[in-house]
Amino acid sequence: MSGNASIHADAAVTGMAAVCGACDAGPYLRIRKLGKFMGKQDVLAVVAAARAVQAAGLTAPLGERCGLYAAVGYIPFETSEINRLLDASLDGEDFSMQRFAAQAFGAINPLLTFRVLPNMPAFHVSLNLDIQGPYAVSYPGIGQFYTVLEEAIAAIDSGIIDVALVGAVADQRNFLVEHHFSRVTPPVEPERLADAAAFIVIERRAEAIARRATPRARLVDCQLDYSPAEPFAGHAPSECLIRDGVTVSGFGELGPASLGVVLAGTERGRLTHRARTRDGFTVCSTWEVT
Amino acid sequence: MRYRVAVTGMGVVSPIGRTVHGFRDALFAGRSGIGPITTFDPATLPTRIAAEVKWDGELMRDRKISFVLDAAAQAMKEATRAGTRPSGDGGLGLGLGLELFSMDDLAAKRRGRPVPEPIAERAVYLQTPSDLCVSMLADRFELRAPPLTHVSACAAGTDAIGSAFRMIASGRRRWMMAGGADSMINPLGVAGFCSIGATSTANDDPHRASRPFDLRRSGFVLGEGAGVLILERLEDARMRGAEVHAEIRGYGASFDAHGISEPHPAGRGAFQAMSRALAEAQVDPDQIDCINAHGTATPKNDPVETLAIKRLFGRRAYDIPVCATKSMIGHLIAAAGAVEVIAAIAGMKAGVVHPTINLDHRDPACDLDYVPHTARNHPQRFVLSNSFAFGGQNASLVLRAGDD
Repeated sequence: MSGNASIHADAAVTGMAAVCGACDAGPYLRIRKLGKFMGKQDVLAVVAAARAVQAAGLTAPLGERCGLYAAVGYIPFETSEINRLLDASLDGEDFSMQRFAAQAFGAINPLLTFRVLPNMPAFHVSLNLDIQGPYAVSYPGIGQFYTVLEEAIAAIDSGIIDVALVGAVADQRNFLVEHHFSRVTPPVEPERLADAAAFIVIERRAEAIARRATPRARLVDCQLDYSPAEPFAGHAPSECLIRDGVTVSGFGELGPASLGVVLAGTERGRLTHRARTRDGFTVCSTWEVT
Repeated sequence: MRYRVAVTGMGVVSPIGRTVHGFRDALFAGRSGIGPITTFDPATLPTRIAAEVKWDGELMRDRKISFVLDAAAQAMKEATRAGTRPSGDGGLGLGLGLELFSMDDLAAKRRGRPVPEPIAERAVYLQTPSDLCVSMLADRFELRAPPLTHVSACAAGTDAIGSAFRMIASGRRRWMMAGGADSMINPLGVAGFCSIGATSTANDDPHRASRPFDLRRSGFVLGEGAGVLILERLEDARMRGAEVHAEIRGYGASFDAHGISEPHPAGRGAFQAMSRALAEAQVDPDQIDCINAHGTATPKNDPVETLAIKRLFGRRAYDIPVCATKSMIGHLIAAAGAVEVIAAIAGMKAGVVHPTINLDHRDPACDLDYVPHTARNHPQRFVLSNSFAFGGQNASLVLRAGDD
């Protein structure tokens, strides 16, 4: 038995941007000294969000009438950081709390705490674009991207906000996320995992046109179904993106960012996204890119 | 069409009680749930105290999963006491803290221990992904509408209830299980907060370590637990004869867009969240009878929250009782907002404001009526509940008493 939700949008996508792999947030930082707090997921999110806002013809500060809605992938942790922590905590081959407290604790970079938290990409995006509106930050996959999209469109429809920045970010080429995907059924090879972020800007169509923005895309139809599934042993996941009848291939495992990455790379045409996730979501959406 | 949203079930697992009644009684008595850490040996970490849940049964390795399953069962039991479930498909809104990893497993992995074969072991080896929690709740309580997980740190529990309220009010969901769960009382969790100097180091006097609004406050005390509400349309609740504990009337969220660990100095984001919640509730500031504060006992939060309250309520701010649940249960991070909403509803139902304990030396910058030391009889029709996160995510809820 499953339940469902539909997302109906009389709204326009006025900006889209995506980044995959390494990138530099430097040009987009409003307060440069806070750059030292940024992890890879934060950099990806800031770059994609800032470029989407630029593409929409908007500029910071976005203020109180802009909301931020984001899905963040599994919590990341780099091998080098983990090794430093473990090396200082071992007594022989075993973890020692005494050594952890006496040695490893002091070796932890205090900034590390901030770099892995799942709400930090939203913090850095809000800071650098000066967003003071509402938000929803979810985790960890493409099903959750759709749930934040639903929240964003509901906020626009109800008049709470005028602009929604909706996106996803996944820092996946690291020790902890690779470990996670090695234990699911079927396992995902690390080489298939990619670091990516994508954001879109959504506005009410009439207001977008009134400010002479060019609507780039619209959500034609969207359906979410859900039936609880055990994420380790549930049904095998599947995902496909079809652009004008042709299947888009080779985009790898982009976590919650998959739709956004392909959407941002679509110049024109009709894009359909279908996915069935390990955690029980079945999603289908169609977008028209003009 | 906009629907009124009723709370018809509540469940809590907290450091001072594992039932709503037990929790309420401990709150009203001003009992502290803080003590030395027992779940692991904190050795010489600067902070060696926490507000742990006293649990006598079997626990899942990720403690918060056990906590939230128990709280959800309590809430559902209460909501279905009339003999019927809420109407239609239910959804789940859950504020979740995320686990890093087990240091013991990390050492084992380096020694060459492979990923275990049995699914139950594989799922928790090295790290338990928190989405497991969502699937287990949805499966156990037959929640079939798409769930929304919130990872907005200390605001997550309040965000989960707020967005669930909106989903029902707007007709997008018929009913929701909503709340939060967290446990970061583990080596990495405690060390992480120690490393940024956020937690109290008053290890020798744990009951007095959490001191919101007190001049001698020295940081928050980490807590753990879960709080779960059942929310449904008020008309559905009345139709099926369910007891209505309270209504959710408004939700406000905002970004500070300021600092990573410090709030905007003028309390801009806190003010925006509170005023948006009041606006949605269509409640004037002079109708609010009590504020359940975020009140972390950190040097930065308490004066800024006070400032934001004074900006919103003007001179009347001095007449509104403001209480800090964290003085007794510590900071439950992603579960905090949900558990504190339950504290607020319990207070409204009883006409009692629970105390802010350990408020011995008032900070001159914190000059409101924080209900120090002992509970106070005080009828409440509308209550405001605040949660403000690291990273500047702020969330507030307006609650209304009973069913009228």
